[in-house]
Amino acid sequence: MLSIKNLDVRVEQKEILKGFNLQINPGEIHAIMGPNGTGKSTLASVLAGKNEYEVTGGEISYLGKDLLEMSPDERAREGVFLAFQYPVEIPGVSTTNFMKAAVNAKRKHLGLDPMDAKTFLQLLNEKRAIVELSREFTSRSLNEGFSGGEKKRNEIFQMAMLEPKLAILDETDSGLDIDALRIVANGVNQLRNKDNAFLVITHYQRLLNYIVPDFVHVMYGGRIVKSGGKELALQLEERGYDWIKEEVASLA
Amino acid sequence: METIEQQFKNTPTTQLDKVRVEAFNAFEKLGIPTSRVEAWKYTNIKTKLSKDFILTPLESEVNTAVKNYIASLPPYAFRLVFLNGIFHQELSIIPEIEGLYITNLKEAFANKSSNIEQYFGKAVNYNEEHFAALNTAFVTDGAFIHVSKNVAIEEPIYLHYFFTATDADAFVQTRNLVVVEDGASLQIAEDFRNASNITVQYNHVTESFIGKNAQLTLVKLQVETKNVKGIHSLEALLQRDSTFNASTITFEGNVIRNNITAQLLGENAHADLSGLYFGKENASIDNNILVKHLAPNCTSNQLYKGVMNDESVGSFSGKIFVDQIAQKTNAFQSSKGLLLSNEASINNRPNLEIFADDVKCSHGAAIGQLDENALFYLQARGIPFELAKQLLTYAFVHEVAERIQAKPLRQFICDKLKEELKLNW
Ligand SMILES: Nc1ncnc2c1ncn2[C@@H]1O[C@H](COP(=O)(O)OP(=O)(O)O)[C@@H](O)[C@H]1O
Ligand SMILES: [Mg+2]
Repeated sequence: MLSIKNLDVRVEQKEILKGFNLQINPGEIHAIMGPNGTGKSTLASVLAGKNEYEVTGGEISYLGKDLLEMSPDERAREGVFLAFQYPVEIPGVSTTNFMKAAVNAKRKHLGLDPMDAKTFLQLLNEKRAIVELSREFTSRSLNEGFSGGEKKRNEIFQMAMLEPKLAILDETDSGLDIDALRIVANGVNQLRNKDNAFLVITHYQRLLNYIVPDFVHVMYGGRIVKSGGKELALQLEERGYDWIKEEVASLA
Repeated sequence: METIEQQFKNTPTTQLDKVRVEAFNAFEKLGIPTSRVEAWKYTNIKTKLSKDFILTPLESEVNTAVKNYIASLPPYAFRLVFLNGIFHQELSIIPEIEGLYITNLKEAFANKSSNIEQYFGKAVNYNEEHFAALNTAFVTDGAFIHVSKNVAIEEPIYLHYFFTATDADAFVQTRNLVVVEDGASLQIAEDFRNASNITVQYNHVTESFIGKNAQLTLVKLQVETKNVKGIHSLEALLQRDSTFNASTITFEGNVIRNNITAQLLGENAHADLSGLYFGKENASIDNNILVKHLAPNCTSNQLYKGVMNDESVGSFSGKIFVDQIAQKTNAFQSSKGLLLSNEASINNRPNLEIFADDVKCSHGAAIGQLDENALFYLQARGIPFELAKQLLTYAFVHEVAERIQAKPLRQFICDKLKEELKLNW
């Protein structure tokens, strides 16, 4: 589904990703862990198409297409979804209207007519229930004045609405209490099937108790330095990142 | 102008004529302002209007554009229709309601209806305002609306001004006079339209008198005003406990100038002035506000938002004057601009003149571009770039539309906004 080869990325003359490789197949859940500032959000932004990141080498293929050739909105309509680490507040646009625009943009792309109001409302209510967001939230301005946890639940709600093929969750668990964490994980697990895939970026092993990954990767210095199964996350939880850093240093 | 001058010199018999002669003499002195006149700094109006304008009314045919538009209006709407300043009774619907008197100015002048002499020329400062002087001297026609004490008029009254100027030098002078007596309430929409493809020029004045505890809502629509050079002066005198809501909505126009003066004459009066404007191509959209706090305990609010495209220039000058007796004044002003092109600009000129010590006054101004992060967020959900821009523009301006008190007018503007921004929800 997604194949990243030797990816080099720069932002403001600074190299962030250096020879990054990753292969994701349909039905898989991959977790990426790693210390702060190592380039996890950069990877997520590059996949979503944020233009301030300059790709200086390597390639990304998504469902057989060159992802880097596609605009951010095209990627989204083709099924790429990024749950933002820091969701943006947009005063004056309600979550409902935002989702209406997004759902219909996707339908148009698929050659379908806009969804009728009644069906849309049903869909909205159904997905809202998954993340336990009240009706009031979807009629309010997008993320404006939402708590951290509400913003993250809103991201998962949007994901549920759009049913992406590849969902990238950037620290969706940070700052969540245990209930919110369960709600978020529940959203992912309901969506999960053999045809879609998830890339879960996290600092904490605890999310992975709820969303069980097939692969865990450790990212350090702009690339993946170690990969394993879900037990690797437990190891990191126990031992921190220093032993990884030492391993990398000894190999250099 | 010789013959008209003679006409004014010969017949100052009635009170009305006296006012018009005074205004004529004032205009002779004032002339059309250059950009050296402070209030006209951002709109060099002298170079924008035709040099030898024609002030005599132009009889013109009701064309299909006018007919089609009239046909599209909801049947219940109260309306007066003017074409190039000339009243068209056959297109108008004037309700017979107890306590509401509506007619055209000409008719009111002729009959001296409802003491019109008591009001005409009394809210506007024609001794100093160039275009108010010109209008007062040469007004062709307009609406006269009088609401009697304690009468509440629920349905908005639409005043439609169509222009089809058959002569490029025509400069049409239109005018409304609105009297809302104590305890009464009224909603008015002034709708200006260019019903032709050529450039039209007009100079419009609205004088309004708002009695004690009375309410006036006035929405000025410049929605179908492509190729329009329009000058507007809106004057409001507020007595104690009264409320004045004015919304000025400008979707297009070549040269648009909106002057508003609200004078808070009695305690506890409230003026709420808001506006939103879009500039396209080389348009010049200039809003010029003066709020005068002349009594204690009054409040005023100004909220203006502009969206400028292409090489358009927007201007906002907002002055809050607080007299020394106007203690406990609350006066706020906010002017925000969104620049959608590198060549567009907005001039913001706030001005506070405060002579009382116990007041709360503030002004804020912000001009910027669309937020990159917000645009990316929308795109990351599949919304195409152009649509994302339109959505965020709607988000920026809709607050002004939401403030319109009269529901049918608010709905109308919100729908128009969505149409303008090609949003279909
Ligand atoms: N837009 C940007 N401008 C400048 N530096 C950036 C930008 N985005 C990220 N960086 C830098 O790139 C590095 C990696 O950041 P990030 O990808 O956010 O790391 P992580 O998500 O792993 O914590 C950091 O040093 C950060 O300061
Ligand atoms: Mg990060």
